[in-house]
Formats: sequence, C-alpha cells, structure tokens
Amino acid sequence: MKTRQRPSPAPARTTGSPPIAARLLDLIESDDPTIRDRAIDRWCEGRSLTELLAATGELDAFRRRETNLYRRVRALFFIAAIHRYHLPARPDLTRTGRVPYAGFRHLLERRFEEAIAEFLQAQRSDGASDTLSSALAAAHHALAFQTLADQVRQTVRSTHGNAWMFRLGHPLDQPLRVRRELLGPIENGPGAPRPLLRERTPVRMDLTHCGWSDIFFLGMDYPEGARVLNVSIDLGVHGRDPAPRPPVEAFFRVLDEPVIRLASVDLEASACLTTIDEVFDFGRDYLGLLKAAVIAAGLVPPGIERSGASLAELLATIFGPGRGFELVSSVNRIPKGSRLAVSTNLLGALIAVCMRATSQTGALAGPLTEPERRIVAARAILGEWLGGSGGGWQDSGGLWPGIKLIEGAAATPGDPEFGTSRGRLLPRHTLLGRDRIGPDARARLHESLVLVHGGMAQNVGPILEMVTEKYLLRTEPEWSARARAGATLDDILHKLAQGDVAGLGGALTANFFGPLQTIIPWVSNRYTEEIIGRVQAAFGPDFWGFWMLGGMSGGGMGFIFAPHRRTEGQQQLQAIMLAAKRELQDALPFAMDPVVYDFAINEAGSVAALLEGPAALLPPGYYQHTVPVLLRREARELSGRERTDLQQFTRAARVEEAFGTALPALLDRMLPSDEATERASRHLGDLLAENGFDRSQHEQIRSDLRAGRIGLAMNRLPPSTRIEDVDSRDLFAAAPDQPGAGVHRAAGATALERGEVGVISYAAGVGSRWTQGAGVVKGLHPFAKLAGRHRSFIDVHLAKSRQTARLFGSPVPHVFTTSYLTHGPIERHLRLSQPDAWERSVWLSPGRSIGLRLVPTLRDLHFAWEETAEQKLDEQKEKLRDSVRAALADWARASGEAADYTDNTPGQCLHPVGHWFEIPNLLKNGTLARLLAARPQLRTLLVHNIDTLGVTLDPSLVGWFQSSGATLGWEVIPRRLEDRGGGLARVDGRLRIVEGLALPRDEDEFALTYYSTNSCWVDIDGLLGLFGLGRPELADANRTAAAVRRMAARVPTYVTLKEVKKRWGHGQEDVYPVSQFEKLWGDMTALAECPQAFAVVSRARGQQLKDQAQLDGWARDGSAAYINSLCDW
Amino acid sequence: MKIRKVLVTAANPRQRTLPLQTLIDQRGEPKTALQIILEEASGAGVEEFGVVICPGDEAAYAGACGNLRSQVRFIVQETARGYGHAVLCGRPFVGDESFLHLVGDHLHVSHAPATCARQLLEVATTEDSPVSAVQPTRESQLTSFGAVGGRLVGGARPLYQVEAVLEKPTPTAAEQQLIVPGLRAGFYLCFFGMHVLGPEIFSLLEEHQRAAPDGPLGLSPALHTLAARRRYLAFTVAGRRFDIGAPYGLLFAQLALSLAGRDRDRVLTQLVELLALRHE
Repeated sequence: MKTRQRPSPAPARTTGSPPIAARLLDLIESDDPTIRDRAIDRWCEGRSLTELLAATGELDAFRRRETNLYRRVRALFFIAAIHRYHLPARPDLTRTGRVPYAGFRHLLERRFEEAIAEFLQAQRSDGASDTLSSALAAAHHALAFQTLADQVRQTVRSTHGNAWMFRLGHPLDQPLRVRRELLGPIENGPGAPRPLLRERTPVRMDLTHCGWSDIFFLGMDYPEGARVLNVSIDLGVHGRDPAPRPPVEAFFRVLDEPVIRLASVDLEASACLTTIDEVFDFGRDYLGLLKAAVIAAGLVPPGIERSGASLAELLATIFGPGRGFELVSSVNRIPKGSRLAVSTNLLGALIAVCMRATSQTGALAGPLTEPERRIVAARAILGEWLGGSGGGWQDSGGLWPGIKLIEGAAATPGDPEFGTSRGRLLPRHTLLGRDRIGPDARARLHESLVLVHGGMAQNVGPILEMVTEKYLLRTEPEWSARARAGATLDDILHKLAQGDVAGLGGALTANFFGPLQTIIPWVSNRYTEEIIGRVQAAFGPDFWGFWMLGGMSGGGMGFIFAPHRRTEGQQQLQAIMLAAKRELQDALPFAMDPVVYDFAINEAGSVAALLEGPAALLPPGYYQHTVPVLLRREARELSGRERTDLQQFTRAARVEEAFGTALPALLDRMLPSDEATERASRHLGDLLAENGFDRSQHEQIRSDLRAGRIGLAMNRLPPSTRIEDVDSRDLFAAAPDQPGAGVHRAAGATALERGEVGVISYAAGVGSRWTQGAGVVKGLHPFAKLAGRHRSFIDVHLAKSRQTARLFGSPVPHVFTTSYLTHGPIERHLRLSQPDAWERSVWLSPGRSIGLRLVPTLRDLHFAWEETAEQKLDEQKEKLRDSVRAALADWARASGEAADYTDNTPGQCLHPVGHWFEIPNLLKNGTLARLLAARPQLRTLLVHNIDTLGVTLDPSLVGWFQSSGATLGWEVIPRRLEDRGGGLARVDGRLRIVEGLALPRDEDEFALTYYSTNSCWVDIDGLLGLFGLGRPELADANRTAAAVRRMAARVPTYVTLKEVKKRWGHGQEDVYPVSQFEKLWGDMTALAECPQAFAVVSRARGQQLKDQAQLDGWARDGSAAYINSLCDW
Repeated sequence: MKIRKVLVTAANPRQRTLPLQTLIDQRGEPKTALQIILEEASGAGVEEFGVVICPGDEAAYAGACGNLRSQVRFIVQETARGYGHAVLCGRPFVGDESFLHLVGDHLHVSHAPATCARQLLEVATTEDSPVSAVQPTRESQLTSFGAVGGRLVGGARPLYQVEAVLEKPTPTAAEQQLIVPGLRAGFYLCFFGMHVLGPEIFSLLEEHQRAAPDGPLGLSPALHTLAARRRYLAFTVAGRRFDIGAPYGLLFAQLALSLAGRDRDRVLTQLVELLALRHE
C-alpha cells in the first residue's frame, strides 16, 4: 500500500486563468522572445499531475531528437524543474517509491542517460512517485550541466590556436623553440646568470557586477546579455605595502638541466619535475596552476599526456639538449578569495611568459598585442579546465590595460561555436580610452573607492550553478532582475563617464540589494550587511555605496565614500570589519582577518621585461624559500645555477632594500623555533583535560584500529543480516485526514497547555558538510533571511517554540545540547539574544565526552575511496582527486596510521563523539534534573537535529506519542534520492533505525522506503527506567554515570572519516580526512526491552538542511515560506 | 605570360656551402646541388639564370654550375639583410618581367611526368598570376617554412587563392590564420621553395624595407601584402621538396633522388642490406 502524505507547501494552482502557452515546446522553440523567455513555472501552473507527466515525456522526446545544444539543455532543465518543484506539489502524486539501485550507480558513475533510462523504467512499472521524481530531477539536472560543461570543453579544445596541442603526441613533433635571447650571450660564460623573463599583470575588478553574465554558458547562449565593465588594477595591502603595483608576477628562465622547476613564492612551494606524468599530476602539490600554465602554453602540450615520452627529450626539442626551464609565480601575498580573479590572471601571466619564451608572441618584452591577449585568454580558459577550476570569461581581464567593456560575441560562420551556440567562447574586449572615460573621472573613482577583503572564504561554485539553471528556466523574478542588472551597466557606464561617483555608488548598492539578491539571495550574508549597516551609521551621507566583487560577498568588496572621508573610511573599515568578524567568526566561515587594499587603475595591462645580469633577480620570497636549503649544503655540492643564485641574492641583499630586509626572515627559517609548536600542544592538552577526554578508551580505539578490529569495514552488520523494508501499516501516518487524528490532536493540545512537553535541539556540531569542515557552529550559522533578517538555525528553533508557547499558552522548555566547540559561542549568543528566556525556558546541556581525532589508517582510506559508492567526477576533476588521494595516502603513511591528529588548531583536532551521548549527557550533567525541578509536569521530550527546521511540537504527534505507550518515538519520511545514510528497516524481523554505514551492502539502503529524520520523541520516565533510574536518582551523579556507561557499552561504536580543513598562508586551506569514532542514538531501536513507535511525517517537517547548495531549492519549493509560517519572530 | 628567367637565392651566410654539395641525380650522374636546381629550371624552359650569392663565393659557385655555367649570372648580396633583401638584389637581373624563383637549399622530386618547376610554370601561365608552389606540411615542421592560408579556387587542380602568408608561424598562429579547407587536421600549406612572381614583388619588398630600414627583410611579409593587393595563387605541386639544410636533409634528398631514378633498385638493395644488419 502506498502512503499519501499531506501536500508539500509549494502552491499548485488548480483553477484560474488558462495556461499562457498551449504548446510547451514553444517555450523552447519559438522565435518570439516573449514566448521563448517565459518561465516553465508559469506554464506548469494549474496543470494536473497527468498533464505534467505528459509534459516530461514530451520534453524527453524533444531533447532526444533536438540537435541544438541549448534547446536540449533547456528541455533537460525543464524536466528537472517539473520533477523537483511541480510534481511534488501535486497532492495526488504518490509519496513513496523506490530508487532502483542500478540507476543510482549510473548516477554516481556519471552515466546520466543510463540512470534516466533506469528511473523511467521504474516509473513505467511502479508508477510515478515523489521518490522517483527526486531521482529523475537529479539525473536530468546533472545531465544538463554535463552537456553544458562538455560543450564548453569541446569548444575550448577546438578553439583556433588551442587544437594543435591536443594533436601533438611525440617530442619530435614539438614545434616550439626557445627565444635565443633567453639563452644569454655566449660570452657571459657558464657562471653568468641566465636572463630572466618577467611578466607583470594587474588583476581585474568588475565594476558593474554583471549578474554573473560572464559564466561561459550564459555568454554562449545569450551573448547580447553578457556585458561587463572590467578594470585592470594594481594592488597593495593598506599599511603593509608602500604602493599599489601589479600584484601578479611570473618569471621564466632557461636551466642547464633537463627538468622543469616550478615555484610559488606565496605558497612557499617548489617542485622539480623530471617526467611528463608529473606535469599532469595536479593534486600532488600546490603547483597545479603552474603545471596548467606549462601545459596550456604548449610547452608540454595536453596531447602528450600518458604517451610515455621522455620529458628530457621534449625539453631538448624546445631548449636544446640537456636544458629545461624554471617557472616562478608570485602574487605579492594577496589573500585567496579576493574576488579580483587573482588566480586566473596569474594563470594568464604564467601562460604569457611561457608563450613569449617560446616565440609564440611577436615581442619578447613589452605589452601584448590584441590577438596575443586573446590567445592567452583562450589558453587560460584551457588551463582552468585542465586544473579542474573555472572562472568567468571576464576573469583574464587583467591582461588588457585600463577600463574595458567586455561583451559576449555572436558566433559567426567559421567559428567552432557556430551552429552549436549563439555566442562565442571568447568575448569581445573594447578598451574605453580616456576619450570615453576621462582622467578626471578615473581620478574621482580612485579618490572614493576602498577595496577590502572581508576575510570570508566561500565556495562560489554552487552559486554559479544556481545562476545558470535560473537563467535557462527563465524564472520570472530572476529573469526580470537580470534585465535590470543588464540595464544597470549602461547607467554605471554613463555615471562613470560623467565622473558621478556618488551616483555610481548608489547604482551599485541598488544592484546588490535589488537584482543580485533577487537572482541569488545567498550572495549576501549577515556579516556583509552588518558591515554595510555600521559603515552607513558611521559615515551617513558620505558613504556613497557598496559594491560586491565577484560571485558573492564577504570576501572581496568595495565601499565608496565621499573623497574627503576616504582615508578615514579605509581606517574605520579595517576596525569595523575586524569587530564584526570577531562577533561572527563562530557562526560564519572566515579564512583570515579582513584586510583593506590600496589600488590604482593599471593602464598598461600585462607587460614583460627581460632582466639580465645583476638585474636577473627573482622575488625576495623565492630566495627566502630556496637559499636556506642551499646554505645547508656543502659549497662544492652546489650546481652552477645554485651558486649563481646565491651570488645574485648576496649582491642584491647589499644594494636593494627589499632583499636586505629578507635576510633576517631567511635566517629565522634556518633555525626554526619550537615555541609555537609547544604552545599549540599545551593548548590541546588543556582542552582534552577540560572536556573529559578518556585516554584509556582512546588508546583502546587506536589499538583496535591498528589491529583491524574496528574500522570502516567493521561498521557494517554481518552479511547474513536480513534487511527488509517496512510496511506502511507499521507506522503512524501523521496526516490530518488519518483516522483518529482529531483525538490525538486534542490530547496533544491538552498536554502542551499543561506544559508536559519540552524540546531538545542537538547543537554540538560544527557543520562539517555545511561549511566543508570550516569549523563554525552550525546552529549559529545565519543561513537565510526570514522575515527580513538573516536567521540562524537556533533562531528558527526558538521562534517555533515561542509560537507553540503562544498558541497553547504555556512556555516550552527548550534545551540546546552543546559540545566543547559550540558551548561558549552558543551561550554568548543566547545570553545576548534571549536575556529573558535564558535559564528560564532556554537551557544548555554541555557535552561531557570528547575524542581526539586520529590519522586514518590506509585500510580505511582505501575502503572509503574504493569500497563505498561515491560520486564520480568529470575526467579532469577525477584525475585531480586521484592525485590528491595518492598524496593523502602518503601523508597518512608518513604521519603514522592511527597516530593522534595534532597538526592543526586544537579545535580541529578534537571531535564530538556522536549524538548518542546527547541524551545521556542530560542525565549526567544535571540538565534534566534541573529541568524537572523547574517543570515537574514535564513528561515528553522532542529531540531533533539542528538542521531539521520544520520539526515542531505538533499536537497530533504529541497526542500520538503519549498515547502509544512507547519510550521512544521516531519520525521518518518517505525517501528521496538525496536522503542517504540508512533508514527504517526490519532487521532480522525487528523494526529499527539503521545507519547507512551499518548496512551490510550499499544497495540495502535503496530497498528502504523510509528515511530517518533523527527526530525522536522521548518519554522521560520510560527512558529513565530503561537506564535503571528514576527521577529521584538523577541527583546521584555516580549512579547516573554508571547507568550511562552500562548503556553505552550496549551500543555499537562506529569509525568514520571526517574532512577537516587546515588553514595556512594567506587564506589557503587544505582538507584532510581524519578518523574519529561515534555512537548514534538511532541504535537505541535495537534494544529489545525499549518500547518504540514510528511515525511517518511530511517532508516539510522532516527534511534536513545538510548542504548550503540545498538552500536555493529549499527557498524555491516553498519550504522556506513554510518554516517562516511556523515561527513567531 | 612567358617565364624566361630564374632567380636562385643562395646567399645565406650560414649555408653558403650547401649548394656546392655533390649528389647523384636521377640519371645517376654526380652533380652539385646548384646544378640540379639550375637544371630543374632549365627543364622548364628557363633561359636565363641569376644566382644571388655571398661576397667571395662566385668562383666556387661558377665551378658548380655544370653545363649551364655560361647562362648563369651571379648577383652578390653585399650584406646579409634577409631573404627578402636577397630577392630584391635580383631586381636588375629580372627587370620588368615575371620570373621563376628557387631557393638554393631546396631540391625537388616530381611525382608526375613533368618536373616540379614545369608544373608550376604551366599553372602560372594558364592563370596569368603570381603563384607559389606549396606542399601540405605537418604542423611540427611549421617553424622551418613560410606558410599560406587561403581557399580552394576550384577546378581540377589543387589551386588556392592565397589570403595570408606567415613566415615560420607557430602552430597557434597557423591555426588562427592559415586554416585551409580540405587539408587534413594539423597540416598547412608550406612553401615549396619555388615561386613564379611578377616584378611588383620588388616594389613591395622596397615598401617593406622603407617601413623597417634597419631590420632584416623577409619575403613572406611582402607576399602577404601581395595577397592583399592582387590575385595570388598557391599550387600543390605533384612532388616533394627536400630542405638540404635541415639535419639529415642532404641524405634524404639523395635517397629521394636515387629512389626516383635510374639507380632505384641498387639503392633499395643497399638499404635493405643495411636494414638487415644487426648491431649487437
């Protein structure tokens, strides 16, 4: 029997005006833009389930026969949108179903067509369902993006000027030859330094924010809408650097050894490559960008990968026998995430210097010509694809001088794009000279603008996907916002030409708060708006405007002031940002402290110079990194180049200040101080001691891990375990139309009025998935704007409790369970934001258990990578991942398997030990005792995850649970594709919640109809009885501790791998997998003596927000509005 | 159009002995490279021969002309100022008529009954237009030759209207500017070392010289200008060129001559024996 749930909150109009276009395909095929640009959402309004299913069939047939790429992709997005948003909103869609495991495997392996075929077959045989629609939506969505990405890649490869590099497969075919000038005059002799070619490139800022119209897909489909105003700038960190300068530098020199040396001054990384395979190994070190440049410049062309050819032979063809080259990059310590396209422009500079060195440009030194800049830009796109990253098409704007208008260009016959996409891959650059924007206007911009890096590090990738999808779906508010953003460009251009910087500021601010946030609400955050508010308060009318740089705010940003207050603005902004960061750093991911920049418009673009003799110097940072290594060796062991480098540096240190001042730091490096390491290790020790770290248990786990007694593979139940799906008759269906619903509701309402029910929210976590291991308190993350303000998870849960209290006239006690990582920040937040409720209706339950993370065992790493189903990536990213994994395995081997993980900030080395401990902690730490003392009538607790936003004290469920006689009551939801990690199963005949990691086989999960929400009703007295306690015994700490220990021993321990970030340098981050252990509350269902009950609830109530990429769909499908309706703000 | 004169450039100071090398021609007769080149022109009906040489090379070159010595006029390029300048030095010799131009470091082997030069001259006469012989060449060898971009004229012959000429282009530049429809991917039309040019080429060379009086003067930029100003064709000759200045160039040229001539079997036998030898 299929269970039907209450409808999802997304509106489904069943009556009203007739459909706007009778023929669905007109939305894709029509030549009339007024029809073609209509939203699929409008078309779906009022359509029945049958009509929508027929529409997906029609679209599917269309996309299979259509040859035009963009029409095909739009049809795919339409199908995905119907399955994701419109079908689930139809009340008559069956809620439960199964995703065929074979289809899921295809999805993971990126065989999207095969996955779709499996899912459609299941839909034909089992009927349409919410579950299958979720799978079909995901598969079509992914296929649409794969089609687009494949097309861009194909275009990058076939762009004239790039294609030859994919044909070259043998060293003797290498047509490039080094410029003779780089070999240096023969008369200089062997001891003379080789000439050095230096490319200096500015970065770019986007003056208009273009509504992300520079995403390749958009520019290629809608070239007339892709327009940006892009300015090349020099940069310096205010207070650190004497003056702005082109921040990006690339150096090239010929070596007398058949190798490629790569060095990044900022990352303090260097490598010596001796084989071609090493050049294509992007993940093994931090030099992927330099490798991508070497490949994209054609020196080691992509066609030669895996050819087995010798690198020395290839280098000999270009440079002569026995020779190689060195490539060095420097970005003058500009932090990552500046939103100024530092990495793309660095890639451009590196490619340019390599191309100049091998006669691929007309001039060795000086600026590039327009055709040369275009080919460097095209190669940079290729390089980004090779390196697995991706920017917008305006990002290499630093190669061009000054201010320029960059616009999409229509594809014409002869272009490789012609016939496939409407626009070309590469846009058109029009330099706006001083005749268009006069010197006065340029000076005024400079006198008013303050550029900053707010310090936040965020992944812009999901935003770019959202933008693309919304663009192709033509969703109405976003589409009209895009038109407004496009019009802003003309307005900004006009104001800039007039020198009206105040007007410019107003237009930029309006763009940020208007069109940009309409298209993507997630570009803003509480930190940004806090800063804007404070600057506004401090400067009043002298604050002229805010400007978001790049894909989202919080990193690179611009603030525009009246010129007479700009200097003050620079100083105050530093203080304002720092204060706001201090307040929010537990809630939002920051990579570093904020910085203020000095900048100047660069009127030259990318320029090269040939440095010879004493002037052939690399940046001081290069020598700081390399010289200590040389000094530790015997002089006679040094090669000619190394000896010359030492001489060059010594000479420069005597006469050039920048090199002289590098000496002390260089000496420090030779004698590293142990002080910092000792301090960190003391701090970690203190934390462990304060938080009840159990050393003997830890040593036991380590020894079990090493011996293979526990581990990822051992988490699983024995293969002989019988795992069966659960019949809906075993569950209580929480829906208003169910028999007895009224009785339960009335009983529940009475219990709520009596104050018998409390809420426990798990808030011990740091959102490993939510912020990719950034270590912020997830509960405090202000994730979305509700009722006009950014609200955190904790804010939402408290607002729901307030609403319940108001509706039933009785305060709801609400406890947040915390851990060593979250307790302090949450307490500070609640004391400030809930002064009246603090310890009256809001309590904290501090964690009493802690673990120390371990370096993973190779066995577990391989199990995680090879034995568990995981998403396959596209070809380049897959290569990158393989190479990163090889490096991580080396790291685990070198650090010692199952050794303590201590090489990070102490907070990142510790781990909470799973939510099983949360409820027992209430017993151990006295919170439950205090709660019962304050509210003796308390009978029932609702325990839930912090990210289950829709869960409330619904009187029907209160009534159901209290009348069920169960000790624990569990809420489950019908599964969707994205609901991974176990579910409700009949295990050897007994109904229980099983974790995904405990299921004997991956495919077992797909046979389970219901997914656990982890929301659990607890009968307090029943639970105490289960632990062998009663209310009075709660006062006895020893007895409760013993009871908890006894129960803990009966619950399994799982080993898991978590990803943690390690931050270093200037905003750089690495992610490491670490081992930890945990016990999970769902395993209480395995206890035979514990009476249990299970209820199936609606998705709106049970869905969890695990990943920020979910937010957009969450807002679009009506979930956000539903949550808002539950809250009393 | 009647072609009476050939202008051979052999004034590259780094390769001044190349045309003096002795090879065995297709008839099995030992000849200098220069003699083979001059006979190529002679076989096509050319009557007057001009050879541009470095100062001091006249005696050696005169001795390398074979039977044609009396018809050859030597033109000395006093200073090495580029290939285009060497051609420009031939202006007094050529006068106001169209001429065949060959380079002193290329030998040609025809795959047709007519020699390469004769094939080219026939095209030039029929089309009444300057025409350069070209050979589809792999992109890995682009840096050794001048190359042209253009489009097929149509008709039975592999004839192209030239739109762009680049000297020793990078593959990047070639892909952007020299794509010729109908060629295999990665192949470009590179010069064959054989052109039929009108006297206007000298004016163009002078124009380019005036624009950059201090730099070396190339022929390709002038040909590029020529393509922009008038109908200028490229013709894929049924034959192959051999650059005797390239590593092993002389050896390959000799093998090609022998394998296309009287001693084919003898040379082939020797080659097979060489191949069969095993060096431990």
